[in-house]
Amino acid sequence: MTRLPTDELQAIVGRLPTPRDEDWKYTDLARAREISERWLGAGAATPAAVLAGDIERITGGIDADWFVIANGELISLSEPAGVVAKKLEQPPEMDGALAELNAALLIDGLHIRVDTEREKPLGLLLIDGADDASVSQAFVRVEFAPHSAGEVIEYHASFGSADQYANTIVTIDVGDNASVSHVRIQDRARNHVQTGRTVVDLGRDARFASAGFDLGGGLIRNDLIVNISNSGADVSFDGLYLAGDGQHIDNHTRVDHRVGPAKSRQEYRGILNGNCRCVWNGKAIVHEGADGTDADQTNHNLLLSDKAEIDAKPELEIYTDDVKCSHGTTVGQLDEASLFYLRSRGLDKQRATQILTHAFAAGLVARSPVEAARDTITSLVEARLATLIQSDEDFSA
Amino acid sequence: MLEIKNLKSRIGDIEILRGLSLSVNAGEVHAIMGPNGSGKSTLAQVVAGHQDYEVTDGSVTFKGNDLLELDPEERAREGIFLGFQYPVEIPGVNNAYLLKAALNAKRKHQGLGEIDAFEFLKMAREKMTSLGMDPKFLNRGVNEGFSGGEKKRNEILQMAMLEPDLAILDETDSGLDIDALKAVATGVNALRSPDRAIVLVTHYQRLLDYIEPDFVHVLSQGKIIKSGDKSLALELEEKGYDWLREAAIA
Repeated sequence: MTRLPTDELQAIVGRLPTPRDEDWKYTDLARAREISERWLGAGAATPAAVLAGDIERITGGIDADWFVIANGELISLSEPAGVVAKKLEQPPEMDGALAELNAALLIDGLHIRVDTEREKPLGLLLIDGADDASVSQAFVRVEFAPHSAGEVIEYHASFGSADQYANTIVTIDVGDNASVSHVRIQDRARNHVQTGRTVVDLGRDARFASAGFDLGGGLIRNDLIVNISNSGADVSFDGLYLAGDGQHIDNHTRVDHRVGPAKSRQEYRGILNGNCRCVWNGKAIVHEGADGTDADQTNHNLLLSDKAEIDAKPELEIYTDDVKCSHGTTVGQLDEASLFYLRSRGLDKQRATQILTHAFAAGLVARSPVEAARDTITSLVEARLATLIQSDEDFSA
Repeated sequence: MLEIKNLKSRIGDIEILRGLSLSVNAGEVHAIMGPNGSGKSTLAQVVAGHQDYEVTDGSVTFKGNDLLELDPEERAREGIFLGFQYPVEIPGVNNAYLLKAALNAKRKHQGLGEIDAFEFLKMAREKMTSLGMDPKFLNRGVNEGFSGGEKKRNEILQMAMLEPDLAILDETDSGLDIDALKAVATGVNALRSPDRAIVLVTHYQRLLDYIEPDFVHVLSQGKIIKSGDKSLALELEEKGYDWLREAAIA
C-alpha cells in the first residue's frame, strides 16, 4: 500500500472527532491527535515490530491459535485447521475519520475465515511497544461461515513509557446459524491511548455472545457496533471497566435491530476509584418493521471515590410497535449494610471493601463466554481490583 | 462478661437508649423483650458497633475492656457475634468463602494459623446437618435468594462456626415456622456452655419454650424497666407490656 502524503495524513488527523460531536461529547481525542501529529512530524517512521516477551506470558497462558499484530505489523500468520487466513490488501470502506486514518496508515490487515466448528479459540493479540511516540493501526476481519462455530479472543496490550496511540478495527461476521463467542481484553499501559471499534454482523439465527474487560489504558474509547439485519439473531454482551487515577474509559455500544424477531442483551459494569472518568452509552435502535425485537440493556457503576465520574446514558430509539425493550442504570457506592455485616463477622474495612467490590465484578467474569480465557481474565481482574482499592483510601466516602 | 452502664445512644437526633444498664456473665442466657420501638435492636447494634448509632453517655465493657473503643471487626474477633434481624444478601460472595474468611480473621487474632480446607468443610457440613441445612447452601451467594427461615439458619450456622463468647441474637425467631424455630433453638442450645453468654432479643415468648433463659428483661423507652426469671416472659405473654409501662411511670 502506498502511503498518503504527510499533509493529507495530517488533514485526516485534523478531522478526528472532537467533543463537539454528539457521540464524542465526553471523550476528547486531543491526546490522540497530538501524538499522531508528533509522530507524523517526526517522519512517521514505523518502529520495528517488537514483542516484550512471548505470547504465553503476555496472555497469561491462554490456549488459543494466536495471530499477532505488533505495532501494526502482522508478525505471525498461520492457518490452523478449518481456518483460512490471509493478509487483507484493502480494508472495506467505513465511515468516519478514525476508519479513514486506519485505512490510510494500515500496514497489515488480516482476514480470517472459519468454515467449520472450531474447538480452540482464535486469538488476536494486538500489541504495541516502542521507545518513541508511536501510532499503530490494526484491521482484522473474522468471518464465520454459515453453520460454523468458534471463539475469538481480542487481546489488546502495550508496554513502554513513550506515548502511544492505537487505532483498531475488528469486524466479525457471524453467518447464518453460526455461533460465536468473543472476549475482548484490554490491558494497555496506563498512559496509552486507544480507539477500538468492533463491528458485528449477524446472519439468520446467528448467535453472538461477548464480554469486554477494560483493565488498563490511559484514554480508551471502544465502539461496539452490532447489526441485526436477519431474523432470529441472538446477541448478548457484557462489559466490565475498572478505572483508577488518570484513566478515561469510554464504552459506546450501538445495536441496530433492522429485522425481527431478534434478541439483544447487554450488561456493563464499572468500578471507579480515584480521579477518573468513565462513559457508558448504550444505543439500541429498533427500526421500522423489526417486530418481535427484544432488547435489554443495563449499566451499573460503583463509585469508590468522589473524584470519580461516570456518564451513563441509555438510548433507545423505537420505530415499531411489537417490541420489548428495557434499560436500567445505577450509580452508587458500596452498600453500608453489607459493609457492616462483613465487618461484624471479623473482616476489616479494607477486606470487606475488597470482597464487595470483587463481588460486584465477579458475575461478569464467571459468565464470560470464552472458557479458555477465563483464568487469565480472573487473575487480571483480581490484580486490577487489588491495586484499585489500595490506591485511594476514601473508598467508602 | 458484658457490663453496660447507663448507656445512652441516638441515631440522628432521636434518642433511643436512655440510660440502659445490663450485666451479663459467662454461662448465662438473657432474654430481652419489649414492645416495638423500645430499643431492643438498637442495643444489639450498639454492642456490635454499628456506626449509625452514636453513644452519648454511659459505658460498655466486654471482658473488662472498653468495647466502645473498638471497631466492629475487632469486637467480632474478641468474641462478639450479632445474629442480624435482617441478614443482608450479598450476591457474588460465596457463603463458604465468608465463613472461612470470618473464621480465619478470628484465628489470626488468636495467633492461630488458617484453618485447613478439609477440616473447614468437615466442620461446616456437620454444623449444617445439625441445623437441617442442605450443604449446597455453602456454595451459594451469602443469603442470596434465601427464604426468611434460611437466612436465620444461616446466621446460626455462622455463629456455630465462629463459636463466640457472647452471642446476641436479634429477633432470630421472627418469621420462622416451627421446624426452623426448633433448628435455631438446637443451634443456640448447642452453644450454651459455662464459658459463653447468650442474649436473645425477642418479641415473643415462643422462642423461650425452646431456649430457656436464666434472666428475662423488659425494655421500654430505652431502659430496662423490669427484670426477672423465665416466669416474667410467661406473665408478659399473658398480660402484654402495658401493665409494666404503667407501673414504671407510676
